[in-house]
Amino acid sequence: MTLKRIALAACALALVAAPASARKTYSHQKYFEHYEGTKTCLKCHKKQARSFFHSQHYQWKATASNVVGAKDRKLGKINMINDFCTNPLPTWIGEWKNKDGKIVEEGCSKCHTGRGIVPAETISDEQLENIDCLICHASGYRRNIYEKEGGGYEWKPILWKNTVGLDSVSKRISLPTRTMCLRCHAGSGGGPNFKRGDLEYKQTECDADFDVHMAKDGNDMQCIDCHQGEDHKIAGPGADIAGNEMPDKNILCNNDDCHGNEPHEQKILNMHTRRVFCTACHIPVFAKDNPTNMVRDWSKGHYSEKKGKYTYTAKFEKDVTPVLRWWNGKTTIMQVAGEPVKKDEKGEIMVAVPVGSKDDPNSKIFAFKEYHAVMPVLKDRQWILPILTGDFYVTGDMDAAVKKATEKFYGIKDAQFEWAPTIHYMGLFHEVSPASKAVGCLGCHSSGSRIDWKALGYEGDPMMALLQKSH
Amino acid sequence: MRLTGKIATVIVAGLAVIAMTSMASAKDKKVDGRTLFREHCKVCHGPDSPNGEYTPMTLIQDQWEDFFDNNYVNTHKDVVDAKHGNKKVTDVITPEMLKKIKKFAVDHAADSEHPMTCG
Ligand code: HEC
Ligand code: HEC
Ligand code: HEC
Ligand code: HEC
Ligand code: HEC
Ligand code: HEC
Ligand code: HEC
Repeated sequence: MTLKRIALAACALALVAAPASARKTYSHQKYFEHYEGTKTCLKCHKKQARSFFHSQHYQWKATASNVVGAKDRKLGKINMINDFCTNPLPTWIGEWKNKDGKIVEEGCSKCHTGRGIVPAETISDEQLENIDCLICHASGYRRNIYEKEGGGYEWKPILWKNTVGLDSVSKRISLPTRTMCLRCHAGSGGGPNFKRGDLEYKQTECDADFDVHMAKDGNDMQCIDCHQGEDHKIAGPGADIAGNEMPDKNILCNNDDCHGNEPHEQKILNMHTRRVFCTACHIPVFAKDNPTNMVRDWSKGHYSEKKGKYTYTAKFEKDVTPVLRWWNGKTTIMQVAGEPVKKDEKGEIMVAVPVGSKDDPNSKIFAFKEYHAVMPVLKDRQWILPILTGDFYVTGDMDAAVKKATEKFYGIKDAQFEWAPTIHYMGLFHEVSPASKAVGCLGCHSSGSRIDWKALGYEGDPMMALLQKSH
Repeated sequence: MRLTGKIATVIVAGLAVIAMTSMASAKDKKVDGRTLFREHCKVCHGPDSPNGEYTPMTLIQDQWEDFFDNNYVNTHKDVVDAKHGNKKVTDVITPEMLKKIKKFAVDHAADSEHPMTCG
């Protein structure tokens, strides 16, 4: 406990002792009277705002030491094109309405830590005031999209008209809780658990069966207990996020601060950890609450009565068995915008494929979600293209949605494009099940098990070979 | 004869009342807070209403608690609800119904947590 926290705890105790009729008070009760946007916080926290401005959560890019061939470039959501919502810039902010006037898209900035302005390279008061501190630091905070007086849109607290309410919420300041991080991370990819599969809204309050680490009635760990950072950098980008702002910080399960490499009493299990990473056995299944998006075919648009909009053709699954693959824990093949796409032997564009093999002693077998999509590619130059998703949801005109986005993103007019399948592996690190539910021996060492020995470079099941030898 | 007739009318009327109240309470049980809020609050507090627009998201949980516990009766005891037989709001809404409406408002208040999902 730091001194600060002790002081806080003392305040909290004093609160409990106060008469019940007194209004609730919060950590920042005395620091300001009215919340008037981020400038209220800047009065005392300019330093933290500056650090946040430079962070990956604001810039949506960072040095990408983990991306093969990235060199010194800063990469991230802002300048890459992924196979979920493609690139955020063409669909940054706005109200896309269907023919009944219902809003079907509000823009990708919904999951940006800004209030609606696109992050800039150089720091300014406008940029600092654009940072939405409350989204990570205030409990009970919610925001929505509103038209600005001078035109355009912005994200504002839904309580903007209710001074008493907003003053209360904006004073409920703490370090980020799970709930705050999950405001964005549980909805990435367009809906509940669409993208990750192992980060669900349920983790705000789940039991140990769902997630041993974050269980409310168990370890009750916060995201930042593992994703420790400093100066607003957050550690642990996983296997498919390009930017890595803390490349020297290892937060994997087997590091010495957590479990180490030999956490088991049974020797046979500790023997496995040399080549089999913890998650391969301890995340037997994912998407335990909400179905996760497994396939997204942007080339096959159709109108959905239920959603009231045009949409891609998708496949969702619940209780999914992870795919096991080698990974060196560090590097991944990814697509960089404005470079010809790299394809695997099946002809699929490698949006994120972990680097590793049986012959590389630093590689281990990790658990992944295997995701497939179909994406537009520029015919001659073979660049991966973005989609102006908001327009497509409203009109169903994919041709225009690709061309418009391509012009906005690359400056290329009337792009001629074709469709190509993609492959994207996402590391699974959450929804760790209790030890009693870990994958048993036969979960791998039996025919038809979750492991594809040949694909991993083995001649066959090494345990069976051993058994046969001993006979 | 006339007497028994009167008695009969009273009994029938009484039965009808009993039947109606029991029907109403049966309906009460099924109707959830969301529906009740729409039917008994939104009618007077929709967008652009001169009485002020109120959805659960207008206020934070503390404000809703405070309103229902300390303010609702004062502010609505003299308000007549034209959509519900010109009766006073506080007579139309039974304590049972009010409990459900309160729970709905608090659960969906501006500071209740919801994930943000796009698209
Ligand atoms: C008048 C000065 C002042 C203002 C204005 C102010 N803070 Fe603070 N803040 C502090 C001080 C002092 C501390 C350290 C002591 C403490 O933890 O309360 C602090 C601590 C924090 C912490 C760390 C909390 C923790 O539990 O460790 C966060 C996060 C924070 N402030 C965010 C904000 C945000 C967001 C705003 C704007 C809504 C804001 N502050 C406005 C003075 C201020
Ligand atoms: C993406 C979520 C996120 C946003 C947005 C964010 N922070 Fe933080 N903040 C964190 C995390 C995580 C920590 C703890 C780790 C660290 O210090 O970097 C933290 C720590 C802090 C601290 C305490 C530690 C210290 O350095 O004194 C303060 C104060 C703070 N933030 C203020 C702010 C202010 C002011 C803003 C808005 C300008 C802001 N934060 C925006 C995530 C966020
Ligand atoms: C406003 C939405 C939002 C909030 C709130 C948010 N994130 Fe993120 N986070 C993102 C987006 C978007 C990315 C992807 C950035 C990119 O690809 O460049 C990201 C990336 C990450 C990454 C991988 C890259 C990195 O910075 O290491 C981690 C880990 C992460 N977030 C953890 C957290 C944690 C922990 C919290 C709570 C303190 C949090 N996030 C809060 C939107 C958010
Ligand atoms: C028990 C530790 C632990 C907790 C708690 C935890 N994470 Fe992670 N998370 C990891 C590890 C380990 C990785 C992979 C780190 C690396 O890059 O090597 C990871 C990766 C990520 C990534 C990168 C994408 C991915 O999934 O591969 C995001 C985003 C993320 N975590 C968000 C969160 C959020 C949000 C929370 C809280 C709801 C959270 N994490 C809680 C351990 C944890
Ligand atoms: C080959 C599969 C496998 C691998 C790889 C594996 N574990 Fe385990 N682990 C198990 C099984 C099975 C149990 C349950 C043991 C029992 O009940 O005796 C277990 C139990 C545990 C426990 C509970 C403590 C105990 O001994 O009961 C922890 C903590 C743990 N593992 C962490 C890890 C970590 C961290 C890694 C990676 C360094 C890892 N495991 C790798 C299969 C595995
Ligand atoms: C997640 C899949 C997985 C699970 C579960 C698993 N294994 Fe393995 N096992 C492997 C892999 C992969 C190897 C090969 C490791 C290597 O290349 O050194 C292996 C190797 C072995 C070997 C060694 C063969 C040799 O050549 O030395 C034995 C014996 C074995 N496992 C027994 C077990 C037993 C017993 C259990 C249950 C306690 C178990 N395994 C659980 C994946 C698994
Ligand atoms: C028949 C119309 C009517 C109905 C039905 C009605 N109200 Fe009102 N409400 C009013 C009027 C009139 C006022 C007073 C407006 C004024 O004085 O400015 C008011 C005031 C309010 C206020 C503000 C009180 C204050 O302290 O200033 C709230 C909150 C409110 N109503 C909520 C509700 C809720 C919740 C319901 C449903 C349980 C409801 N109202 C049902 C007409 C109605």
